[in-house]
Amino acid sequence: MTTIITAILLFSGALFILVSAIGLIRFDNLFSRMHATTKATSFGILLMVLAEGIFFNSGVVWLKAVLVIFFIYITAPLASHSIAQSEKE
Amino acid sequence: MEISFLNIVLALTFGMLLLAFLLAFLRLLKGPNMSDRIVAMDLIASVTMAFILTYSVLVKKEIYFDIVIIISLVSFIGTVAVSSYLKQKK
Repeated sequence: MTTIITAILLFSGALFILVSAIGLIRFDNLFSRMHATTKATSFGILLMVLAEGIFFNSGVVWLKAVLVIFFIYITAPLASHSIAQSEKE
Repeated sequence: MEISFLNIVLALTFGMLLLAFLLAFLRLLKGPNMSDRIVAMDLIASVTMAFILTYSVLVKKEIYFDIVIIISLVSFIGTVAVSSYLKQKK
């Protein structure tokens, strides 16, 4: 059961990252590309980190998983905001 | 490596992540602007994190999880450094 949940979460996380890469290559505007890469990639990493925590299922791994999710969701909008501000004249 | 359900799914995941890396690298090569290249670099860092997470499930060692924390911090610092350099130059 744990194996099936881990496989589904890993696969869907990779799918989200692939979709964001397709958006990065196909959109024709910088802000559209940032819209594709920031949100979908954060969600994909969230799913994969959850899969990791479910697969190993120990206290330290869950603590590190919460730490990684916190970092990703704090820093991805900040980096995106910084890129957008550097583009604006 | 024996054939099991988890290994097949992990191979598919590696393939999809490799395709995502290839697309992001294409955008990194031909991006018309500097900011597009920074966005592609950020996505490549995320793809690397996903690779390491999948590999740590494949070899069943949880020590690889620390690399993901370090990459998430370093990629944020690199993105902010390059974009603030661009803002200063403008």
